[in-house]
Amino acid sequence: MAWIVKNLWLVPALPLLAAGLSALVPQRSRKFSASLAIGSMIGAFLLSLWAFAHALQHNGHENAKEVFNFAWLQFASGDAGILKLGWVLDPLTAVMLVMVTFIGTLIFIYSTGYMAHDDNFTRFFTFLSLFAAAMLGIIISNSLLLLFMCWELVGLASYLLIGFWYHKPSAAAAAKKAFITTRIGDVCFFLGIMWLYHQAGTLLFYDNGAGCMEQTALLKMVTQTTYFGLAVSAAIGILIFIGAMGKSGQFPLHVWLPDAMEGPTPVSALIHAATMVAAGVFLVARVYPLMAVHMDGAAVETAALQAVAWVGAITAVFAASIAVAQNDIKRILAYSTVSQLGYMMMGLGTGGVAVGMFHLITHAFFKALLFMGAGSVIHGCHEEQDIRKMGGIRNFMPATFLTYAVGMMALSGFPVFFSGFWSKDAILHAAHGWSVSHLPFYLGVAGAFLTAFYMTRQMALVFLGKYRGEKSQSPRHHAKSPLVVLKGVPVGGENDPHESPRSMTMPLIILAICAIALGAIGTPAWPWFQSFLGDHHGEGFTYDVIQLMVTSTLVVFAGLGLGLWLYGRKQRNTVDEPDVLEKLPMGMHAWFANKYGIDELYEMTVIRFNAWFARVCATIDEKFLGILVLLLSYFTVALGWVSNAFDNFVINLGFDQGCERVSRGGKLMSRLQGGRVQIYLRVIGVALVVLVLFLIWGGGK
Amino acid sequence: MNYLELLKLFAPETIVVVTALVVLAVDLTSMRELETRLRFSIGGMIASVGCAAAILGILVIPERANTVGGMMAVSPLTQHVKICLLALTVFTVLISIEAKFTSHVGEYLGLILLATVGMMFLVSAQDVLMVFVSLELTSLSLYTLTAFNKRNIKSAEAALKYFLFGGMAAAFMLFGLSLIYGLTGSTNLHAIATALAGKGLDPLLVVAIVMTVIGFGFKVAAVPFHLWAPDAYEGAPTPSAAFIASGSKLASFFIFAKIMMIGFAGAEGSAAFRSFVAGWTPVIAAVAALSMILGNLAAIVQRSVKRLLAYSAIAHAGYMLLGLMANSSEIYLSLIYYATTYGLATIGAFGVVALVENSMGDDKLSSFVGFSKRAPVAAFAMMIFLLSLAGIPPLAGFFGKFFLFAAVLKPGASSLGLLWLVVLAIATSAVSFYYYLKVLKQIYVVNGTDRKDATNVSWFAQVVLLVMAILVILLGCFPNLLVGGLQACLASSG
Repeated sequence: MAWIVKNLWLVPALPLLAAGLSALVPQRSRKFSASLAIGSMIGAFLLSLWAFAHALQHNGHENAKEVFNFAWLQFASGDAGILKLGWVLDPLTAVMLVMVTFIGTLIFIYSTGYMAHDDNFTRFFTFLSLFAAAMLGIIISNSLLLLFMCWELVGLASYLLIGFWYHKPSAAAAAKKAFITTRIGDVCFFLGIMWLYHQAGTLLFYDNGAGCMEQTALLKMVTQTTYFGLAVSAAIGILIFIGAMGKSGQFPLHVWLPDAMEGPTPVSALIHAATMVAAGVFLVARVYPLMAVHMDGAAVETAALQAVAWVGAITAVFAASIAVAQNDIKRILAYSTVSQLGYMMMGLGTGGVAVGMFHLITHAFFKALLFMGAGSVIHGCHEEQDIRKMGGIRNFMPATFLTYAVGMMALSGFPVFFSGFWSKDAILHAAHGWSVSHLPFYLGVAGAFLTAFYMTRQMALVFLGKYRGEKSQSPRHHAKSPLVVLKGVPVGGENDPHESPRSMTMPLIILAICAIALGAIGTPAWPWFQSFLGDHHGEGFTYDVIQLMVTSTLVVFAGLGLGLWLYGRKQRNTVDEPDVLEKLPMGMHAWFANKYGIDELYEMTVIRFNAWFARVCATIDEKFLGILVLLLSYFTVALGWVSNAFDNFVINLGFDQGCERVSRGGKLMSRLQGGRVQIYLRVIGVALVVLVLFLIWGGGK
Repeated sequence: MNYLELLKLFAPETIVVVTALVVLAVDLTSMRELETRLRFSIGGMIASVGCAAAILGILVIPERANTVGGMMAVSPLTQHVKICLLALTVFTVLISIEAKFTSHVGEYLGLILLATVGMMFLVSAQDVLMVFVSLELTSLSLYTLTAFNKRNIKSAEAALKYFLFGGMAAAFMLFGLSLIYGLTGSTNLHAIATALAGKGLDPLLVVAIVMTVIGFGFKVAAVPFHLWAPDAYEGAPTPSAAFIASGSKLASFFIFAKIMMIGFAGAEGSAAFRSFVAGWTPVIAAVAALSMILGNLAAIVQRSVKRLLAYSAIAHAGYMLLGLMANSSEIYLSLIYYATTYGLATIGAFGVVALVENSMGDDKLSSFVGFSKRAPVAAFAMMIFLLSLAGIPPLAGFFGKFFLFAAVLKPGASSLGLLWLVVLAIATSAVSFYYYLKVLKQIYVVNGTDRKDATNVSWFAQVVLLVMAILVILLGCFPNLLVGGLQACLASSG
């Protein structure tokens, strides 16, 4: 076995070590913890590259999945009682490893600039490293259990980072919301794990034929049916998928993701755009064999994959329509993320692993780029997030503007030159060919149109026109950030937006290049990525494909054009001017702006029920159990009184007397010590006689 | 074996003898005119260096030998005990450097070293004659050390009592040993054991055993042969008392165990509850039980801390005698650990008492009031020493008791018969908390007159006390520092 396979654990171990170390150093050692975190990430990145190279080399072998398993603990006798953990190196792992460590490294570097003035800088990097360790753990693990542990750790890190500015009540609430909402999915996920373990007897994915994703176990599961005529494999798959829905913000568990934008922007970029939210997609890809397995001869798609496809399609268009009416720059991106995750799910459900994963990878790059660009804008505009108060920023922040534009084009799916076009097209193509229904395809096309539209709207409001922010304020932020001034970045007025430091723009540029270049690895002409991940049905530029491309290009241009026409042609002048879309019939804009009232719906139903139930429990507790407890306490007090009396009158009295006797004994003993040496010597003689007699008589018995 | 080899084998002892002579000569010739404190410092340094050289010598000479027709033996075990002895001697010397009771520095230090030589020979002895001679060398030096405070009448009285009692005990022991010679025709321990094997317990042997026990009972201050101890400890100069309680005790217990276990190997009998068989173990059991009870009870009512420590020494002798009951070669391990750590804590405690005596004039409990404010470092060290003597984990005293009791209960089926002794030991050591804490209460809790300037502790004394306190803690936390080496010794000696 190759060294890198055996030692793949080093990849998550490095950031974990960094997290542990920087948790121990004092808060003021900022430089140490930052360089430690970045260094560990670069180390992990190099190892990942090695793993990737190994996977490339090894690809095409009969068994492309190399695993390393070990016995973790023995909880019952026999082979069945050994719980095994392990890691796996296959193309899926390799691709994800490189993506996460690369983007992670860039975001870590970016964070040194973004968080430069934060008091809890050290803690921030501790959490970031912890997150990176857990995320890499998810990717390499070959056991659903190990994956679940890392999954929960990722959730914890996400919670800590969303609530990083915990003194803001909204941040604290958002952290809680994210944790609880994903927990709902995790419960189902865990049920699925249990069921799977019960069925397969192992949680290892691949174990030389004995793993739960391998033929034997899958066949066993697909032949049994359970409620509603579902195959067991499909039922387990759906349970696991619900876990993925929680993490990846799929409708109806998407509510936490937009709120999670309360965290620092690098966190949003790393966790809530590029990596963690993609973990759900990754999970579905990982258990894809379980979801896709069907009886021989059955032509229909499995119920699990149908569920994935439908949920993904609905989420894609649903979230995109909300994004149209948002005004917070990060929230727009958050809903866009939800929508894009929906695309990935749809791709997985209709086209298989390669289609979904391709979009995951390209999206990770351009969405991280967009978030970091947004962070740069926010940083430059003195923590302003409302796009109505921006405008004309392209003049102040040229680097940010250009890179942001690249990200926006990629996200919108601008033809040919941008990676998003190719990956999105692959999904639409897969949906078009889906045997169950064409509706997901139409939803996807509608989503693509909306995506192009809302991104154009955002671009126009933020970067075009002229600056609408307040200009005549005291120069509070510049006083706080001497770094920026020292760098000599051209700043007009004291309060004008300013370009961000080099540590922030450099990652943007690198990501922008990737956002363009990555498309080249998965075009229909040269579907390298797809074949690397194991899908071999590349068709080239057939008539079908080209027709579809033209359609989607037209749709994208329609979106871009409408956006430009509505927002670019005539810029709004004041902040309070109503949005153009408010003229839409039936109050549609209000629906979008209020996110279809889903939050309110949950507020009215689930949360209200929960509160009511809590009150019921409290009442039972007070009225019924309270009395029992009260009785018990009276009983205890009475018992205490009795034992107190016993203590005072029996034990203490006895002890006091005992002590007195001990003291008296001591006095008696020391009276032996008369000080007369004659008596001392006599004692020796007496002792001799007594001891001899004692022995002789004692021995005679 | 020629004399050169003999000299090489006993080079450590020779080094100590030479050191004693050097100290004496240097003091008599070149330091007459100097201040006492300075003489003590120089002499103490020479003595310490000599002891250190002896330890070094022990580490380099061959590990195992039998000489002079089996009279003396050197084995890893004896070497280990000798190292402990020398270490205790060094600490005794270090705490006597502050002493003011005498101006005869050379003689004082020389006698300590000579007593140490006696103990070292005692440890090596394999022959009852050799045992007796070494014992006398030790005892005579200790009598003189007790009498050393010539300005104090109590010192002379204590020494006289110690001497008379010791002489009497030595006479009994010599009588007992000659009876044994009469019975077996040999003075070598192994030969005695062979001759006694299978003979049963005739009355003459019983008398001989009891008389031997009396001799050693005196040395280790076990009841009822303890009567000299409180007077001697109280009257003697404090460093002398510390030395009697520490080094002398370690050596005596080691040879006591050796004679009983090797010499009287066939006549141990049994002290097990309800299955009593005559032999030497029941005698020792009786002596041990009496020591534990009397030592701990009598300590409660003492007003003088030195007397209190004397009774505590008697009680500890009881615990250590308990170890002899185990009657197996592993007991050496527990015994040496116990005696060494006990000696360390005792020397430390006496060192603190000496400080109080120097400043307050006496060692009454009331003189310790507010000591923690006057000398916080010394008070802290005293707390460690006393808590270790009381047996509080994680200090060395706790593990000493633990190993000892565990060793007594360990071997075989008959072992639980000794449970009554262990229960007694635990009960009496609970009593002992009372008087140790009484001292600590005076030091830390009782508010007395503010005489902050009254105690001026030199930095040297503080360092010495602190080192000992740290050793007590370290040996408690890592018993293997001491026991690990011993274990290896035992394993190699079979």
